[in-house]
Amino acid sequence: MKICDPSPDMKKRSFLEKVIKGTISGSLYLVFPMGANALDPLGFDPLGFDPPEQIPGIRGSEYNILDQEFAFIVDITQCIGCGSCCVADKREYNVPDGNYRTWVERYVKGFSDRVYVDAPNGGLDGYQTPRSDIGEEIRDTFFVPKLCNMCKEAPCVQVCPVGATFTSPDGFILVDEKRCVGCAYCIQACPYSVRFINPFTKIVEKCTWCYHRVRKGLLPACVEVCPTGARKFGSLKDESSEVYKILKGPGVLTVLKKEMGTWPALYYKGARREVV
Amino acid sequence: MGLSYKMRLVVLVAGLFIMAGGGILLKGLLVPESFGMYGPYRADAIQEETMIPIRHGTNASCYSCHGYEAKVHRTGRHKTISCEFCHGPYADHIDRGKKIGTLPVKTGNEITTLCLRCHNTEIKARPEAVIKTVAMPDHLKSQHVKTSHTCNQCHHVHAPLKYIIRAKEITGLTEKNI
Repeated sequence: MKICDPSPDMKKRSFLEKVIKGTISGSLYLVFPMGANALDPLGFDPLGFDPPEQIPGIRGSEYNILDQEFAFIVDITQCIGCGSCCVADKREYNVPDGNYRTWVERYVKGFSDRVYVDAPNGGLDGYQTPRSDIGEEIRDTFFVPKLCNMCKEAPCVQVCPVGATFTSPDGFILVDEKRCVGCAYCIQACPYSVRFINPFTKIVEKCTWCYHRVRKGLLPACVEVCPTGARKFGSLKDESSEVYKILKGPGVLTVLKKEMGTWPALYYKGARREVV
Repeated sequence: MGLSYKMRLVVLVAGLFIMAGGGILLKGLLVPESFGMYGPYRADAIQEETMIPIRHGTNASCYSCHGYEAKVHRTGRHKTISCEFCHGPYADHIDRGKKIGTLPVKTGNEITTLCLRCHNTEIKARPEAVIKTVAMPDHLKSQHVKTSHTCNQCHHVHAPLKYIIRAKEITGLTEKNI
């Protein structure tokens, strides 16, 4: 080959080098485009009603998706296990029977330190009768609502092979239903078991903290219906929000499975150490 | 390879351009639009997620038409309860400002079942500071009414102490001197 001849025309060689470098860098630029276009501000009034804004600062001005932070706090000491949240959640999304985006668990702790956990129908029917199958004196009993933890280091996002599950710039873990192939890898990866395959669409579904409501300035459906204020949601960019004040305050907040290193944005108040 | 040195160069450069062009074309076909705007995912999916129809309003949405219920509900102990929990979601009732269906109203024993979903003492996990609970039928017995009574025969469902407070005002009786 003459091209590899040790006595080449140096002009040609440098020209070829430039062509190759240009091609490579050009392709790289196409693969990793820079800059971010802001999403169009959302119009409100999808249903012909306009309830007052519940999360201040979302409506009106343009939503800056790159400068948002939200937190969810579940106060176990306030939860009465009515299951309103589960009912609202099922109705908001028409969640198929047998699947739950959110659910309420009942923890019963005996004096032997054994822990009994149950959640008949995810708490959808409420808790009408006490557990009768515990053969010891009960020391403590409480309800624990469960939902997506919106991890800052989300295992589900890491494992998704098609980029269908992602962390949005405002911190929500969402599922792109057009990309999801239903491989269920994320279901195995999620330490909190909040994901399921929708039996009709065959794609994965999960709690989104009602992203569609939040973007319209409304609280998530479960927070909206909670009669005791056990579920709290708000923006951490708003210093007057309840969650900001709780997170800033001295109260003890815990997260589930801290040792997993997932850094959830869902905090629990009053959670006993048995809660997993 | 009967091509001259110059021709081979031309073929090489042309080949590079064809490969680059093919790459650009394939990328355009295979990579979805808006992919990579914020990260390795389709940014338009965020926009699509916001388009999910809202099915629950707020209590304020219900109050805007149901004035009487609003007045009672707002002043009672049940003011924190969502209308839609007992009656069903707003979207089943109103669509673009027009009534499209009637939401159910609980009657008879359904009401008792619904009340006991929260107010049942048997379920120990209900802190006294948060909710007042009763045991059935002990509560009915202690109030000297038939055990077949439903809760709403004494308690207004939207403001549970409405009648009771009113009765006390009229009779001048308190719990102690009954």
